[in-house]
Amino acid sequence: MFFPVMDEMAEQLTDLLAMDLDGGFTELVRIHGTAVHAFLFRVSGSAADADDLGQDTFLRAYTALQGYDPERRRALRPRAWLMTIAANVWRNHVRTAIRRPVAAVSVDETEDGWPDARPGPEESAATSEDRDRLVAALSELPEIHRVPVVLRHVIGMSYAEVAEVQGCPVGTAKAQVSRGLGSLRRLLAQDHRYGR
Amino acid sequence: MNDPDGMEEAGGLPGLAAAPAPGDFALRVLRHVGIPPERYDTYVRLGTPAGGLFVAASPHAVTGAALAAPDLTATAFEVRHRSRTGRSAIGAPRPFSGVVPALRTGRAARLPIDLTGLTEAERRVLQAVRAIPAGQLRPVSWIAREADRPAVDVVPALTHNPVAVLIPCHRATHDNGRPCDAGYPPEIGDALRRSEGIDTRRMAELSAAGAAFLGSDTTHIYCHPTCAHARRITPAHRVPFRTARDARQAGFRACKSCRPLTS
Repeated sequence: MFFPVMDEMAEQLTDLLAMDLDGGFTELVRIHGTAVHAFLFRVSGSAADADDLGQDTFLRAYTALQGYDPERRRALRPRAWLMTIAANVWRNHVRTAIRRPVAAVSVDETEDGWPDARPGPEESAATSEDRDRLVAALSELPEIHRVPVVLRHVIGMSYAEVAEVQGCPVGTAKAQVSRGLGSLRRLLAQDHRYGR
Repeated sequence: MNDPDGMEEAGGLPGLAAAPAPGDFALRVLRHVGIPPERYDTYVRLGTPAGGLFVAASPHAVTGAALAAPDLTATAFEVRHRSRTGRSAIGAPRPFSGVVPALRTGRAARLPIDLTGLTEAERRVLQAVRAIPAGQLRPVSWIAREADRPAVDVVPALTHNPVAVLIPCHRATHDNGRPCDAGYPPEIGDALRRSEGIDTRRMAELSAAGAAFLGSDTTHIYCHPTCAHARRITPAHRVPFRTARDARQAGFRACKSCRPLTS
């Protein structure tokens, strides 16, 4: 199911971050690591990318926390904050990938360096046709809709949190999610019609 | 678009929510960021005859272990470990060195185990329990003597054993020979005892017959019934005793290996 966040635990976590950066960060990774990975996996569509971008997300988070004073760390809403970083890391990754096309790399390097696009063991274990179609449809959504849909419906965040990540009013976040779902439904219906 | 909340009512995007993160993702993050390994514990889930066992360890010692149960998932173990020790338990691909052979052989007495956070009484009782050899049982009064604590301290300390299986509380019995099994169901204790080659049915018979000790009428030595020396007494020479006092009055002395009580 969704990733539960107990308010009590979240409160302790920010206190811990304020008092002891390394100890708090360890808890931050333990509690939110899975959700950050799940978010990146669903927006990027690749387990290998999710892993690399997840590492990068937490490294950036740690560097940022080092520069925050204790009061600012205490006032954090950790999950929304981490997802904001993760979404930025992913957008940067997509932009870089466009700027540096694969052709710039020599053929020898691509042989080892290319991420395997086939489903990994953990994906194929639970693969079902419906899920594959849903994942494919999700990857066709524009970024502005894909991120809020994943935040709301894969991670299970509230609209207020989604709005915080997207940096927009709550109403806008709701509209983005519902447009995203509308597009998803259309894409799935098309698939069905063409018997893909 | 006519039904923007339709999917929400259906419970989000079914199938996508349970995206599995690789088990060691969090650990690799902490290493990548450069958090010193002393700041957190790592844990694994290992198999035992009584089911899965979560074992957490710092870089220097085992810090906690608990048997998996319907209400003790990996996440619940992490939360419990945190509230008990104040340390984060991070999933790891490899267990603490020495844990696997200790579980396989039942010999965990030399495994470094960190018991900080327990009271002095609890620590001493659990250290005494660690000295019980694999495949053998010891009564509460024996543990109390070894720990140099009153017998009333023993069962509460067993109940709070924070390192299940590796501190072998399943080898503790009441003074009448019945297993203690404080803090976990008796089936678990039986499974662990049987896996160490203890004949649980025979032990129950002996305890029902009131035979807390067994002596040999050729050597005039008495032992705990699971002591290696007691197990080789042939049936014709086996003499059961209800108490150590009975044995002494019959002219028997205590075995020097299993060191039963003498009074």
